[in-house]
Amino acid sequence: MIIALQVAFGLVALLGAASTALIRDSYGKVISLGVLVAGILPFIVDRGYVDVAITVSLIAPIATIFILMAVRRAEA
Amino acid sequence: MLGEILHILAAAIISWILFVTVDIFFRLPEAGGVSGASAIARDIEAGGGALAGGTMMGNIVCSPDASAGTLLAACGVYVAGIPGGLAAAALVFIGNRICHDPGYAGTTGAVLATFVVYASTLVGFSATDFIAGMVIAILTIQGLSHTHASRLLARLWRVRQ
Amino acid sequence: MIALYIVAGVAVFAAIRVIVERNTGRKLPYANVLNFAVAGTIVLLLNHPLALVAAAAYFVGSTLEANAVASTYAGGMKR
Repeated sequence: MIIALQVAFGLVALLGAASTALIRDSYGKVISLGVLVAGILPFIVDRGYVDVAITVSLIAPIATIFILMAVRRAEA
Repeated sequence: MLGEILHILAAAIISWILFVTVDIFFRLPEAGGVSGASAIARDIEAGGGALAGGTMMGNIVCSPDASAGTLLAACGVYVAGIPGGLAAAALVFIGNRICHDPGYAGTTGAVLATFVVYASTLVGFSATDFIAGMVIAILTIQGLSHTHASRLLARLWRVRQ
Repeated sequence: MIALYIVAGVAVFAAIRVIVERNTGRKLPYANVLNFAVAGTIVLLLNHPLALVAAAAYFVGSTLEANAVASTYAGGMKR
């Protein structure tokens, strides 16, 4: 992958990770996790691990939905 | 290089017209398909936007609609021509049902986009222009100014009614 | 190719706007733009039918996630 693209998606992943840690609001944290996964997926695809990419993109949203359910229970 | 940028901008305009038309035809601004879409619409309205436009934007977020159909169809045509585009339409259809959306906006958008993109490749465009163009088109609706975009969509919705 | 640069640029822009926006209901459309951009990137990086499946899987997965967040934010699934 060309350097510019690596920098761009690395930045997205970094922003996602930083904001997951720093944002206080629970929904904000969950959405930031989505940003993090979005940032790392192009790296997986670029290396040719398409099957890993398919698996990650199916499992990561399910994992965040479980976290969301924990958030809801914590709120109630 | 300038030629390719112009192609991408033209593709963006074509994709914008295509997906907005199909979504408005399928009454996306009318009601929230799922409760999440209504919540997003409420927040956009609270920020100064129009409710109908916000409802359509909420529906775009919560389920694959014509915009998703157009993007995936362009990807399909890039990878495998018309069969690729139609395979993408099938994937969009499955995605719709997984998201509990009983509508056909996504599938219709994908099928139409397959033929539009393929026809454009015969006159000098390339499918990658449409991939980038569709991303630009969705940026203008969901990524620049929610208030202005929702008001524009609401005005277009009033034309349909 | 230029399309890749444009899509990557849109992705970074959308990611910044997701994080800067405070209201959850307005964060989600920006996240949606990011999902579009990443789905496009996947296919632009690898011209292969499986990449189409990966892009579709990623897009449906991220839409499902956004749907879940929006529904929970709205106060639970309406039956």
